[in-house]
Amino acid sequence: MRVFKDLWWFFSSEKKSYLIGLLMLILVALLELVPPQIIGRFIDGITMETLTVNTLFMFSGILLLVAILAYIFRFFWRVMIFGAANRLGKLLRKTLFKKYSDMSPTFFGKRRTGDLMAHATNDINAVQMTAGQGILTIADSIIMGTAVLVTMAVTVSPKLTLIALIPLPFMVILTSYYGSVLSRLFRVAQAAFSSLNDKSQESVAGVKVIKTFGYEKDDLKDFEDLSEDVVNKNLKVAKVDALFDPTITLIIAISYFLSIFFGARMVINEEISLGQLVTFTTYLGMMIWPLLALGWFFNLMERGKASYDRIEEVLQTKSGIGTNFTTRQLPKGDIVFDIDQFKFDGSDDSALTDISFTLKPGQTLGIVGRTGSGKSAIIRLLLREYDTDSDSLISIGGVNIKDIEISSLREKFGYVPQDNFLFSTTIRNNIAFTDPTLNDKTIHKAADLAYIHNDIMDFHNGYETIVGERGVSLSGGQKQRISIARALIQSPDILILDDSLSAVDAETEKAILANIKKVRSDKTNIITAHRMSAVRDADLILVMEDGHIAERGNHEALMQNNGWYQETFRAQSLKESLNDALNDSLEGGRD
Amino acid sequence: MEAQTEILTLTLKDQLRVLLRLLKYTLPFKGLIALCVLMLVTSTVMGVMTPYLVMIFIDNYLTLSYFPEADIMWLIIAFIMVNLIAIVTTYAQIYYLQKLALKVIQQLRIDTFEKVGNLGMKYFDKVPSGSVVSRLTNDTQAIVDMFTNVLGTFLMALFMVVSSFVMMFILDVKLAFIALIFMPLIILILLVYRKYSAKYFSHARALLSDMNAKIAESIEGMKIIQVFNQEARLQQEFEAINESHYKYNMQNIKLDGLLLRPAIDMIYILSIIVILTYFGFLSFETSVTAGVIFAFIQYMERFFEPINQVSMSLNIFQQALVAASRVFTLMDDDRLEPAQNNEGTGQITDGVVEFKNVTFSYDGKNDVLKDITFTVPKGTTTALVGHTGSGKSSIINLIMRFYEFNQGEISIDGTSIKSFDKQDMKNNIGLVLQDPFIFYGTVRSNIELYDSQMTIDKVQWAADFVNADSFINKLPNRYDEKVTEKGTDFSSGERQLLAFARTMAKEPKILILDEATANIDSTTETVIQTSLQKMRTGRTTLAIAHRLSTIQDADEILVLNKGEIVERGNHDELVKLNGIYFKMYQLQNSQQ
Repeated sequence: MRVFKDLWWFFSSEKKSYLIGLLMLILVALLELVPPQIIGRFIDGITMETLTVNTLFMFSGILLLVAILAYIFRFFWRVMIFGAANRLGKLLRKTLFKKYSDMSPTFFGKRRTGDLMAHATNDINAVQMTAGQGILTIADSIIMGTAVLVTMAVTVSPKLTLIALIPLPFMVILTSYYGSVLSRLFRVAQAAFSSLNDKSQESVAGVKVIKTFGYEKDDLKDFEDLSEDVVNKNLKVAKVDALFDPTITLIIAISYFLSIFFGARMVINEEISLGQLVTFTTYLGMMIWPLLALGWFFNLMERGKASYDRIEEVLQTKSGIGTNFTTRQLPKGDIVFDIDQFKFDGSDDSALTDISFTLKPGQTLGIVGRTGSGKSAIIRLLLREYDTDSDSLISIGGVNIKDIEISSLREKFGYVPQDNFLFSTTIRNNIAFTDPTLNDKTIHKAADLAYIHNDIMDFHNGYETIVGERGVSLSGGQKQRISIARALIQSPDILILDDSLSAVDAETEKAILANIKKVRSDKTNIITAHRMSAVRDADLILVMEDGHIAERGNHEALMQNNGWYQETFRAQSLKESLNDALNDSLEGGRD
Repeated sequence: MEAQTEILTLTLKDQLRVLLRLLKYTLPFKGLIALCVLMLVTSTVMGVMTPYLVMIFIDNYLTLSYFPEADIMWLIIAFIMVNLIAIVTTYAQIYYLQKLALKVIQQLRIDTFEKVGNLGMKYFDKVPSGSVVSRLTNDTQAIVDMFTNVLGTFLMALFMVVSSFVMMFILDVKLAFIALIFMPLIILILLVYRKYSAKYFSHARALLSDMNAKIAESIEGMKIIQVFNQEARLQQEFEAINESHYKYNMQNIKLDGLLLRPAIDMIYILSIIVILTYFGFLSFETSVTAGVIFAFIQYMERFFEPINQVSMSLNIFQQALVAASRVFTLMDDDRLEPAQNNEGTGQITDGVVEFKNVTFSYDGKNDVLKDITFTVPKGTTTALVGHTGSGKSSIINLIMRFYEFNQGEISIDGTSIKSFDKQDMKNNIGLVLQDPFIFYGTVRSNIELYDSQMTIDKVQWAADFVNADSFINKLPNRYDEKVTEKGTDFSSGERQLLAFARTMAKEPKILILDEATANIDSTTETVIQTSLQKMRTGRTTLAIAHRLSTIQDADEILVLNKGEIVERGNHDELVKLNGIYFKMYQLQNSQQ
């Protein structure tokens, strides 16, 4: 029941729907009491031969009215109560989606996508059920149950009501007992199904190995055993599941027997009429649903509560990045890094130590170094995916980036990530990601700058080509260049290329960098790379090693250094020329 | 808003076709079906008996206040017996119906799985593995739900409706005929409902899956969304789908409210009006008994209740048919693996591999192998070298019969590879894949795979042979150590060694190596090279090499470019040639 308290905010915001819905339910319950009464009176009229044409028409008229009214009320309580629950589902989905958008990478790093998806699907579903079916079952149990019970006692006989009801509690006890046994067996069956699922997954993923060894038949045998297990465990479930209906039949039959046995005596003793007995048995049939609903209700509540708690837990999680900003002003000016030490959450080793540099507007910064040397950490801090502690300062135009409202800060950046994530929509929408209303000319220009326009035009659908599973699969280089176009299109103050030229060849890299240089001469660029050629023209190059700056300077200075930079640059240049030679002879192989 | 909504609805004809094909799966279970039907008939007959007994009691005894003890005793015994039989048969009927459903689905699953095993690699190239798995599990599960809930409900409803009608006819033929007029009305309502609900329901479902896809994609790409400040826009887009999903759901709720239970319940009351009016007027002419009225009303109720249940399960039914049609589409797929002709004629003795003028294309348009001819003599190593897309892997794909070829001939010991017994051939060719796929299980089960005849000594021998024993012996449970999903607990080098052991345990006559491109930790690297050396000794070997250093001692090196062999010879000869091989060799040396 606690889940109702948790959801009270929603019920009170939907007060009107729920109150009208409940009113309708009450009216339906009252209307449902009428037909048995009419039937009883009709039978009495026949047996006592007092029935007239007029009363017959009156009975029919009343029943017709009941039929129509019940139809209308039944329709409206559904729209009211299920409609409200539908709105709750919509609202929760919206809130959760917004919450996910507000969360920092730390949040996503700690949770599995599958779990986050489950909150948005199964959990919302369960809560929606609570607010719809849950309300219905409890209201129906209470309203119908009470109404029928009272009517039985008042209009027929309290004594007979009591007698007839004796077996009914056993139904509640037995069915809820079955329920608990069932949920245990069901979990076991579910686990067997999961194994079958895993098996299928593995067989499909490992299809090449299986074919290599020619083990298709043995693999099938394994699958057969597992599906046999699924069948056996589900049969155990079925054994208990099949108990529900017969149990209800049994209990109702006993109730029926008791009411007719004792009812008949009362008819003989003229305590009640025959018609009343018929009315009574009809009412008895109407008690089954409220009792079943009660058992079902507790089940629904339990699931709803667990699901709501999980959703709440996410909604209550604070976004990792503080929102106590002091300015929305877009700062202009030098980027200053002054970091003593930075550690990622839960890590003892410092990811960065003693990083300080200043970058003037219009300058290009190159960051190179081995994987894990701290290149990306610098970018992540600048983008405020993580915050530094108070000893360190990262500022733009003299303003600490922690004091800038986060979306204003982000507006300054054009970012090309390492992993080239593209959305499964058209290439056009991917490039015009920041503003889908941009015209074709702007989009084509950005694509041109990123050296991808011609590739796109080669696709059958051009810019309207869908990317990803439902569309074409792009090469790594094509993805990178589309990501670059996406970042360039907004001509950001600060462009960040986070190792995003790794999959394009040397010539394309050169062309893209030249384009960037040409159109962005007054803007800041930050480039991290594994290939030294990508940062060759940078005003400042930082060579990272184990989180600190091992070498710094421009290309010429670093080449004098006899350090890692010079060594790597030479090796890469040699490799490049050899590669060119090889490619020449490979091309020559074509006739 | 991009319209990604994919709506799967079947025409009535398709639905019927799919349903018939599904029902064919029940044919082998004739006994079980007969048992189900028997139980169902008995339980429904017992079900209609109760009101009849009460009727007799009311009309023959209660109204007359006449209670001979023996008669009443018999009535009570009959009542108890009827109900006991009803309880037992109801239980049996539900249970056996479930059993039937589970058995049918088991067969369907096994058939689907077998089909998947027979599909060729060209199928797996095109179809994402997730959707294959989904066919095997989720879709078949949807059909289980249909069999247990829907088919059970339909059958029970059918028997209930028919038996109630029979009883009504027994009680009063004329009234039963009058009651029959409600039938077309109910069918009409259900047809209208089906028409609209199929539309709304599939729309709502498609939108829901769109929304879920959007959430999943946003979670994955949240970083990009945030960096580009697009949270608000994506929320709006999400909101738009959410809103239209809500609207379709509301339509569903309204449609259910207009045409399902409320409508059927209304018709039920209307039918009672008809009964009362009929008996009322009848009573003015002749005598009518209370018991008959009582029984008639009871039968009327029994007539309507199953209809309510059937109408509620219509949607599950349609979804199940959609799921079933997807399963059947997979079963009908003709991208099978290459077939062997005249199984079992050839014998692999020496393991001489020969390619003669082989030309091959995956898509029938672009040849990836052009007129390839070479021989790997017994016990020697031939290495394949070349850039990505040069055709190296295609050569292996053909020897392994992953794909069918139509031009040229590939033979082993002089016999076409199309003429060996599949199992026998695969036992004699050991392929070590680039990606050492590790199965869930133990170290031992990963080495023996499905060969249950293999002794632990053999497993240990194989592991020892490829130098995998040193890391396996360090594991707490050694060969019985549990291996988790995809072997993530092992380093890539260790996984590679396990795959070696798996291949060597079969002691193949021919060894095919597809060297890993990924960098392996340098400690295991040396071990791997030693093992490879050992595996190759005395065995006919065809090796794809990315690092030329590993195949310098090969007897012959074939340099492939764009599907053609452009250079051939041993290492020294090729270096002297000063061609592509030499350039590749220089390039790789410069990287060290």
